[in-house]
Amino acid sequence: MKQLVKTITKKDFSTFVNTLIKDGSYDVVGVQAKGKRYVFDTVSSAQELRLDYDVTILPPKKYFLPQYEMLLKFSLQKPFEGKETITDVPRIIIGVHPYDIIALEQTDRHYLDQQQDSFYKKRRENTIIIGVDIQNVSERSFAASMKTNTTESGFDLLLTDIGNCYAVTIGSEKGDKLLKKYATVKDASSTDLNKIKTARNAVLKKYKQKIKIEKKDWSPLLVANYDHAIWEEHADVCMECSSCTMVCPTCFCYDVKDEVSLNLKQGNRTRTWDGCMLKDFTKVGSGEVFRDEVKERYRHRFFRKGNYLPERYGFVACVGCGRCGSACLPDIADPCNLINELAHFTSEDDTGRYFIKEENEVLEKGIIHVPRSATIKKITPFNELDSLFEIELDDKKPLGHKPGQFVEVSVFGYGEAPFGISTPPGNTPLFEIMVRQVGNVTKKLCSLQPGDKIGIRGPLGNGFNVKSFEGKTLLFTSGGTGMVPMRSLINHVLDPKERNKFKDVIILYGAKRPKEITFMDDVDRWKKIPDVQCEITVDRCEPSECWGGCTGLITTLFPKIQADKLDSKNTIAVVIGPPVMYKFVIKCLQTLGVPDDNIYVSLERRMKCGVAKCGHCQINGIYVCKEGPVFNYGTLKQLPEAF
Amino acid sequence: MKQKPRVAVFDFADCEGCELEIADLEEEVLDLIEIVDIVSFREVMKEHSDTYDIAIVEGSIMRPMDEKRLRNIRSRSKILIALGACATIGGINKIRNQWMPDEVKKEVYGTADLKGNELFDVFQTKALNEVVPVDYYIHGCPIDRDEFKSVITAIALGKKPDIPRYPVCVECKKNENICQFELGNFCLGPITRAGCKAICPTHNSPCEGCRGLIKKADTECVKEVLERYKLSYEDIRRRCTMYNYGRKECSYDE
Repeated sequence: MKQLVKTITKKDFSTFVNTLIKDGSYDVVGVQAKGKRYVFDTVSSAQELRLDYDVTILPPKKYFLPQYEMLLKFSLQKPFEGKETITDVPRIIIGVHPYDIIALEQTDRHYLDQQQDSFYKKRRENTIIIGVDIQNVSERSFAASMKTNTTESGFDLLLTDIGNCYAVTIGSEKGDKLLKKYATVKDASSTDLNKIKTARNAVLKKYKQKIKIEKKDWSPLLVANYDHAIWEEHADVCMECSSCTMVCPTCFCYDVKDEVSLNLKQGNRTRTWDGCMLKDFTKVGSGEVFRDEVKERYRHRFFRKGNYLPERYGFVACVGCGRCGSACLPDIADPCNLINELAHFTSEDDTGRYFIKEENEVLEKGIIHVPRSATIKKITPFNELDSLFEIELDDKKPLGHKPGQFVEVSVFGYGEAPFGISTPPGNTPLFEIMVRQVGNVTKKLCSLQPGDKIGIRGPLGNGFNVKSFEGKTLLFTSGGTGMVPMRSLINHVLDPKERNKFKDVIILYGAKRPKEITFMDDVDRWKKIPDVQCEITVDRCEPSECWGGCTGLITTLFPKIQADKLDSKNTIAVVIGPPVMYKFVIKCLQTLGVPDDNIYVSLERRMKCGVAKCGHCQINGIYVCKEGPVFNYGTLKQLPEAF
Repeated sequence: MKQKPRVAVFDFADCEGCELEIADLEEEVLDLIEIVDIVSFREVMKEHSDTYDIAIVEGSIMRPMDEKRLRNIRSRSKILIALGACATIGGINKIRNQWMPDEVKKEVYGTADLKGNELFDVFQTKALNEVVPVDYYIHGCPIDRDEFKSVITAIALGKKPDIPRYPVCVECKKNENICQFELGNFCLGPITRAGCKAICPTHNSPCEGCRGLIKKADTECVKEVLERYKLSYEDIRRRCTMYNYGRKECSYDE
């Protein structure tokens, strides 16, 4: 579709802007000076606009994913009440550069494609973007060599300074309507159209930075250099301040916190920008940090921009704005410098090796942040730390989950935490989770009583594709709390309605100490089933603990399997347990002859949003809450951060 | 009805500014006293009780008599909160640790005879956790009132307060400030604990590190930045003495 282009005199443009401001129905935002720099801020008069700027301190993402955004308000006095708090101020943003427009379109893919974020969506719908072609270039910008210095889409209107007036390219109906209502414009002549081209070309020589390779070569270049010394070299001087991610237009990770008012009566759940460069970004309740070393975090950011997101969406997630380069004090954040430094090497390696493409059914669109009300029905302690919770959704509908999925449980005022679902799928609104007291949410949960209300979001994650297990021998290996999600799968498979779909079932279970065994009732029941082999062991036990069973690590149970009778090529092995266990158990499985592609694992990371938005659960290019937590070992093993 | 936790507020060597911040909660003091019972708070009331659950302590420990008093407070309280930089990290009071106590006394009091007077029997300044175990820290000089409210509500709810372990830069960038380094100032923000909403850089003053350094000043990254901005290690060393003198370790968990 050919775009319509108009022209408007600079005087008439000022009038246009002032009319919009006076109209009062929009929050009119535009680029203004702040000292020697520029920022987007509400304008009170057209005179404040500085459309000749080079770059703003923060990108316009702050209007769509604010630095601090309230997601919902809750009351601590009423049993369960959480209200979503979307503000929908109609807004016009004037002066967005093409690279920032492109960055917003990239963010759209992440926030709107699947599991739509209603807050982001509302803000996008309520905002009119009036872009402006670049006139001045910042020290560190390399947008021209990234081809993000101009754009044909993503704006409602786009201004180009062609000397005595602005050319106005109309990009949408919204933009067209706005012009018709408030502005005095003329049709652009062919001379005007040529002036646009000239104006755009004239800026090119102002770029001081140029990236040496094409965008399509970022991915192979990075993959070839995953273990390059440069990551550590640069990370040595990294301040871990995450300034780079804060100012980046394509960064969108966030953290969620509950805050309670001083009178303890009400509170709110707020999300705020987070950064993968920060030490605690991947920290879970038990204290484990999954991306601890600075060099790993430093490398992660570049891979995200240049390999992970390109594999996922098909675009390089860097728009060459130069903000990170300017913001980084030790000057290591600039992708232009880094890529140019690495540019000597490339490879034929598979660029998708750090990403797992899942054939996902289209995930539910709609409200993803507000929990549903649920009631605790029963609490059964296993030991002083672990308790089994039976929960019922208040709308009495079944959870509708698959074995292997998880839920995010909210205790308003304390926060939200992920829990594996421990019961098989069924038509009941009841389901069970196990709670281990490690942090704020879990400790509070364990102080609640049956009848108390909590919030549930889910089911989340991919779950096991049980259909693909049909006709096979199933070998389940659980370590410690790994039995929690495993139990959902085992009890589903052993359900009389399902049992004959599968061949033999072998269950191996290892706990640290006898008192840490969960679900002993289930274990006793499984042992009694004829065509099920169930073996259990503890790492060690004191003489005082009455334990008549085996002692030894879980690997000591493998010799109990009759290897010669096992059809290992047609065996599906599922392994769930603490990180340290995987390496050893997988070796045992490989010794038995089970192919890597027949092995499935479930991994734990810091799951916060559960809907692949906040970024905390990433393992290389995948989100554990979306492409996982269930993984095929055959594909997972190529991810260096997995184990 | 469950008894409200009893709170007592004490101070040692300090300016009482952090305690004043609590009083400056204004109407919200009414909310505060709804959830806790303040049984002792010399700065604002004359009532006093020796029975309390939570002790909030401002100030640094200078003398044996201070140590004794602090240990007494610790033994009477289930929870001890260090309030403000003097208490959490020693703060300004530690500047004098660059010299021996005798030198300092001579400088301040001249030839006055202070022998045997326990009021002047000072040793090197100590933060609270150098004398007794501390349960929670409210950093800053002065404290941030919102952070105070956040810590108190967390304790009232029985949850661990969420104190940032990342640098001031995060909050400064969220405020869209122009970086102090761009303005030619050396800012301690990149190595200082956040939680203050970057109040000083937001009001055009470089960060002084009052909430405690979370990265040691002699790390590679700091040296790199010093070189780039043509500043000397002497410069940063001097800047750090204001609040962070002699901190050998930057404790993440404080």
